[in-house]
Amino acid sequence: MQASTSVTAELPAAAPRADRRRRAAAGGTAGLKRAHYTNSRLPFLLLLPQLLVLLLFFFIPAVRALVQAFVITDPFGTTVHFVWFDNFRALLASPEYRSSVWVTLWFTLAQSVLTLSVAAVLAFATDRVIRGRGLYRSIVLLPYAIAPVIAGILWAFMFNAHVGPLTYVLKALGVAWDPTRNGFDAFLLVTFAAAWKHICYDYIFLVAALLAVPASLLEAAAVDGAGPGLRFFKIALPMIGPTVFFLLVMNFVYGFFETFAIIDAVTKGGPGGATMILVYKVYQDGFVHIDLGSSAAQSVLLMIFAVILTMLQFRYVERNVNYDV
Amino acid sequence: MDKTKRAFVGGLLAAAMTAGIAAPSIAQQRIEIQFWHAMSGVLGERVDEIVKRYNDSQTKFTVVATNKGNYDEVINGTIAAYRAKKAPHITQIYERGFMTMLLSDAIVPVQDLLTEKKKPIDWGDFIKPVASYYQYKGKLMSMPFNSSAPILWYNKEHFEKAGFKEPGPTWQELDKQLYAIKSKGISECGSSLAGDFFWSLIENYSTVNDQPFGTKANGYVGLDTVFVYNKTKVVEQTKRLKKWIDDGIMQIAGQGLSPEQLYTSGKCSTFFASTAAHGSVERNANIKWSATYLPWEEGTQPRNSSIGGATLWVMKGHKAEEYDGVADFLAFVASPDLQVWWSKVTGYVPITNKAYEAAKKEGYYTANPTREIAILQLNRGTPTANSQGFHFGNYTQSTFALRQELESVWANKKSPQEALDDAVRRGNEILRQFEKLHAGKY
Repeated sequence: MQASTSVTAELPAAAPRADRRRRAAAGGTAGLKRAHYTNSRLPFLLLLPQLLVLLLFFFIPAVRALVQAFVITDPFGTTVHFVWFDNFRALLASPEYRSSVWVTLWFTLAQSVLTLSVAAVLAFATDRVIRGRGLYRSIVLLPYAIAPVIAGILWAFMFNAHVGPLTYVLKALGVAWDPTRNGFDAFLLVTFAAAWKHICYDYIFLVAALLAVPASLLEAAAVDGAGPGLRFFKIALPMIGPTVFFLLVMNFVYGFFETFAIIDAVTKGGPGGATMILVYKVYQDGFVHIDLGSSAAQSVLLMIFAVILTMLQFRYVERNVNYDV
Repeated sequence: MDKTKRAFVGGLLAAAMTAGIAAPSIAQQRIEIQFWHAMSGVLGERVDEIVKRYNDSQTKFTVVATNKGNYDEVINGTIAAYRAKKAPHITQIYERGFMTMLLSDAIVPVQDLLTEKKKPIDWGDFIKPVASYYQYKGKLMSMPFNSSAPILWYNKEHFEKAGFKEPGPTWQELDKQLYAIKSKGISECGSSLAGDFFWSLIENYSTVNDQPFGTKANGYVGLDTVFVYNKTKVVEQTKRLKKWIDDGIMQIAGQGLSPEQLYTSGKCSTFFASTAAHGSVERNANIKWSATYLPWEEGTQPRNSSIGGATLWVMKGHKAEEYDGVADFLAFVASPDLQVWWSKVTGYVPITNKAYEAAKKEGYYTANPTREIAILQLNRGTPTANSQGFHFGNYTQSTFALRQELESVWANKKSPQEALDDAVRRGNEILRQFEKLHAGKY
């Protein structure tokens, strides 16, 4: 939870960075901007509320988690032993933790790709829906208004092995569907539920980005005989690159941290740990089992993973993103 | 800007002060006792009723009962409150939290407190497995409150149609019956797997069949206990459950559906679950239901089953006169009259033999025979080192590991032996950590 604040807080950095490049390209406008701030206290005052929020909800808890990660303690705080890296060592040696890391990576990746591709198709199609476009948009956006827990319960019920209406459909099609026993089925279920919940978020951004793509370019391509698929991949997609990149980062953050409620409602990390993502494990070990040392060590590692992943994305994916369109 | 800020801070301070003044002035004559519990819904209403009865019965103390969510949330809330020095006087903690509470250094042992306050409690009168679970060095550490035991619920009609009077007393007979019921097409599901199956089908299987769960008398005589259930009959039991699940004899409800529904709707013929389900089964079942003892292995002498539920713990750090009220309230809770009433309205077992006798005398069990099963099962024979209870540190965590490993068995990812070995390995790591933390305290 704490780490999520950090990453979300870092994200807007993508935009200023783009600004900087643009400014650098334009040549020397930064000097002009500086001249407008004669009062040097004002920027700090304006930053203060946000810094205060960060301090209270991120830095203080993060430091406490860091301290907690190096001790084992009685939940009541009456007995505390400093154990150096024992909590980390125990985690890295544990097959359950390693399996949770893999589950998280696969889950986040699958969910991100699924969300983004479905949202892209829906967004690109928006333009081609002539009649009832408003209705179409509202329907696509609807899942965003549903609380994650409710969404999770809906999916769990629809695909329940015994009474789920869609289970009957699947069984009629000859699929032996049983997410309560089969870990892979459960994994698919939470992936789809998480993606379904998040598609609308990506959709809004993509629709807005696509609106900014000059219609003349698309029309010119159409005149030249490019079909909708070609127009999308060759013209629209490169032009909305920055948005797609931003969404990719956001989807990862979503998959890492915000899918907690869905996991809790659909599978509770089961069966047999098949959907035990890291953030749910932090909660399980810390809150349900009150193993604070291990839980703190896990949140520290989780924070590190999230930072590394985001950095990798900026390093390798952002290279191919062109902001100057 | 500075002015508005100052006004804002001033407003906050004023609000805080008035709130601070207002709160204590309400209860100036009566001393307030905070009681946190995990009973929601109908059970929560019953707790409120107990508290109201107590508050009306005397004028010195006011007990304030607050539902703090489920058991996990109550223990966490209590911990957080204790760390902030705002702990309640009394808190309801589940049986699995026993060792955590005992060695927390944050509690007052109940028997010591009530003896000191001269409350006339017959400490020898508690139902044995109830007392033995919550005792340390022969003294009760917390006040038993809601105790239950798992029993075997069954659908009378299904058994009768298949030509059986009732479920057979052993696992072997029950196994044959359930397969017969299925093959005759009477019901496609022999049993619904309860959410707390690790309790009803693994732990209680061990106590009833007198199998050790861990060394050192299940942790009673030392923190250096290790789990051993991967070398006992539990392995056979796991194989049986796995076979049942594979053959569709046993079904798993899954999220979004309660296992109890599969039984009460008439889909599944049996259900291994707590006697505390009486309240909801009586209300919801559309079937001719009945219940009996948990089965045992052919050729063994069945022992008592273990209990589940929660007890009331007294927290450290309050004023002496407040503890007068705490002791008074706990004595009230343990009184036979209240226990008879509580057990009738909830389905939990009465915690003392006096309460049990009183209910029996009234003819309550003649009218409701299934209500007596749990208590007869708990009172069966003298508890052995294997059946007195479980004193394992961080027990929720190792229980969870066991449950997770068993799920891997149902999913065909591990064999029963592999899974139980892994569960024991994980459980033992948890026990060692607990031992390291509390070395020399037990």
